[in-house]
Amino acid sequence: MDIIANLALGFGVAVTVTNLLYCFLGVFLGTLIGVLPGIGPVATVAMLLPLTFSLDPATAMIMLAGIYYGAQYGGSTTAILVNIPGESSSVVTTLDGYQMARQGRAGPALGIAAIGSFIAGSFATLVVALFSPPLAEIALKFQPADYFSLMVFGLVGAVVLARGSLRKAIGMVVLGLILGLVGTDVNSGVMRFTFGIPALAEGISFVALAMGLFGVAEVIANLEQRGKNREVFTSRLGSVLPSRGDLKRSAWSIARGTGLGSVLGILPGGGALLASFAAYTIEKKVAKPPRDFGNGDIRGVAAPEAANNAGAQTSFIPMLTLGVPSNPTMALMIGALMIQGIQPGPQVLTQRPELFWGIVASMWIGNLFLLALNLPLIGLWVRLLAAPYRLLFPAILVFCCIGVFTINNNASDLFQLVVFSALGYLLIKLGCEPAPLILGLVLGPMMEEYLRRALLISLGDPTVLVTSPLSLAFLLAAAALLASIAVPLIRSKREEALKE
Amino acid sequence: MRWTASIFAALLALASAPSQAQAQEYPAKPIRIIVPFAPGGIVDTAARVVGQKLHERWGQQVVIENRPGGNGFIGVMATAKSPADGYTLMMAHTGEFSVNPAIFKDVPYELERDFIPITLINDAPMVFVVNSGVPYKSMQDLIAAAKAKPGTVAVSTPGTGSIQHLLLEWAGLATGAKFLHVPYKGGAPAITATAGGEVPAGSAAMGSAMPHITSGRVTVVAVTTGKRSAVNMSWPTLQESGVPGVESSIWAGLFAPKGVPQPIIDKLYGELTKILEMPDVKERFAAGGGVPGGMPPAAFKAHIVKEAAGLKEVVIKANVKAE
Repeated sequence: MDIIANLALGFGVAVTVTNLLYCFLGVFLGTLIGVLPGIGPVATVAMLLPLTFSLDPATAMIMLAGIYYGAQYGGSTTAILVNIPGESSSVVTTLDGYQMARQGRAGPALGIAAIGSFIAGSFATLVVALFSPPLAEIALKFQPADYFSLMVFGLVGAVVLARGSLRKAIGMVVLGLILGLVGTDVNSGVMRFTFGIPALAEGISFVALAMGLFGVAEVIANLEQRGKNREVFTSRLGSVLPSRGDLKRSAWSIARGTGLGSVLGILPGGGALLASFAAYTIEKKVAKPPRDFGNGDIRGVAAPEAANNAGAQTSFIPMLTLGVPSNPTMALMIGALMIQGIQPGPQVLTQRPELFWGIVASMWIGNLFLLALNLPLIGLWVRLLAAPYRLLFPAILVFCCIGVFTINNNASDLFQLVVFSALGYLLIKLGCEPAPLILGLVLGPMMEEYLRRALLISLGDPTVLVTSPLSLAFLLAAAALLASIAVPLIRSKREEALKE
Repeated sequence: MRWTASIFAALLALASAPSQAQAQEYPAKPIRIIVPFAPGGIVDTAARVVGQKLHERWGQQVVIENRPGGNGFIGVMATAKSPADGYTLMMAHTGEFSVNPAIFKDVPYELERDFIPITLINDAPMVFVVNSGVPYKSMQDLIAAAKAKPGTVAVSTPGTGSIQHLLLEWAGLATGAKFLHVPYKGGAPAITATAGGEVPAGSAAMGSAMPHITSGRVTVVAVTTGKRSAVNMSWPTLQESGVPGVESSIWAGLFAPKGVPQPIIDKLYGELTKILEMPDVKERFAAGGGVPGGMPPAAFKAHIVKEAAGLKEVVIKANVKAE
């Protein structure tokens, strides 16, 4: 078997003292920036880019890759303990993770996140090793109509994300869609709602919005409860090992999350973020009753955490096999390779097999490191967040600001952070869950772009949406999901039906 | 009057003396190169390659500061507003100085008023490519198809108002063919669409098309430079393919804010010409079909002015609107 020889080659590269060290450095840094809210892998990879010039290309990539998937592990810790997503892909983890922490089950929540992440990361790496070239082909075959219908499905799913009222959830999705209109229209190049501000030409800063709505707003809401029990659950962590029952309940959720994440990670643009949202949505529909999503159901942590790690791993497939970046971090890694004089693309696999397989092998090693960093050593990270709240909240604000600023090195992103912090606080007061808003903001512009492109290429013929089998399948799935929300509503007319 | 003149002369001497001294001790602190793009692309790579070499030769840190967004306005304006002391430079490209003035009504900066071009760093060709599965095998085939059924032959570009888009319009004007322009959000998704067969053809930077050219998913039908590319001498130029007078490339060049003392510009230019001749620098640029520049500041400026005028004409004739 080729694969054995290839993996042997890969481990030969990855298991050297230097590469093990850089792999550890990468995942350690990744976990750290994951725990710190606001600071993401994009900024970190950009800052470390000059450092990699003097390294061997494989060593450089092993470290940079480690930062990226390591951040997915760390992000859940902050989400669970402080209700602030350490990474944008751990936004959904706040929903049930934080509720678990409130019930004194922070330990098992952190444990299941780490275990789910590890299983998903290891499995997705296997997918990368076995199926990279054929999967890359499938991603290439995705047409604009297929993407559009996938997004429709995602948007309907966004409504299911809501914890409370359906009306509020729809309102949030629509608000997200409206905010998504800001920026340059891809088709005509027209600037919409930018008010002549160049910083808005690329649209509203996603990170500023996410940090404002979830991070700063949460800090404000916490500060409001003067002297009372501040909602940070770092002291009564208990055992991080989930009970046998927890594991049993979560097993299928982890499996589904892993599968979904592996698939969505391959598609450009979606990656880990979309995967975590989709996994949560599906879990809410198919998990075995009794379901208690939104109130600390362990499966609401296990599934999205598995999905975002699987997605993070398989998002390397388009980058390594096609030279196509599926997200900004991947674009940076392509840049790192180009500076090393390596043109990313299919030829990497044939001309530099040691590089490709070295990275793949390092992913398993990296995931092992991460399991160690996040289970036995979880206390280390928790201590970061265990500082007294009067010290913690300024630190969170500072890191949010640094994180938002370093994305574009632009102060106007900080003004956006201020605006969305205020909005976030208002939404907390109104009892509106901001997660559907985020999904509307992310999916809205993409839906428009793909729909208009599909129609442009088909010369205005809308039937492309149903003649493509993939597109048709997504649309039918969206209709089914919509029906599953609508039918109980019509039947009982009680909002209880939605809360699940 | 005499005393005013002598004071003036004294002031002038005062003003120029430190600048001579400045040039001798320049650089005395880290240099910052602003890149109006996110890290990773051709302009960023040019800045990092050059920055690394300047650091090696001068011993001063060279910091690359990415200021992306707003069609380059943000990074360019940040540079224009920086002190003109030679410690803030900018790596910009065709878009900021040749394309933006042609397609935007209100560009907040002007080459002449705000900047000193130092030299061209990397000059990279663009290519017209077709998906390898489509019946078009040459630029002539593509043009013939677009003429036979106007507005149906889809060609991907990295966006409305990108140089690749203007190039497509220019080729249309020169041949009378009408293509269906399909804009994407950047170079990578545009070329991927051609490689995956979503659109039959594409107008792309050679560097971003390279992975798909090597894999055989797309075929180059023409290079856009005046001469054939050393990457593959069998690819014809546009001129040789029945597209008369159309010639374009994507360059990355180094700029300083207006007012940087001439001795510092000279020192930078002198150093850069040496750096651009280094074999490893050439090799890095060559991966994307790029050729190191090195033309003197005046020639570089003339090149930009001429190119901007040509593109402006294309924009007016083809009625390209980006706002």
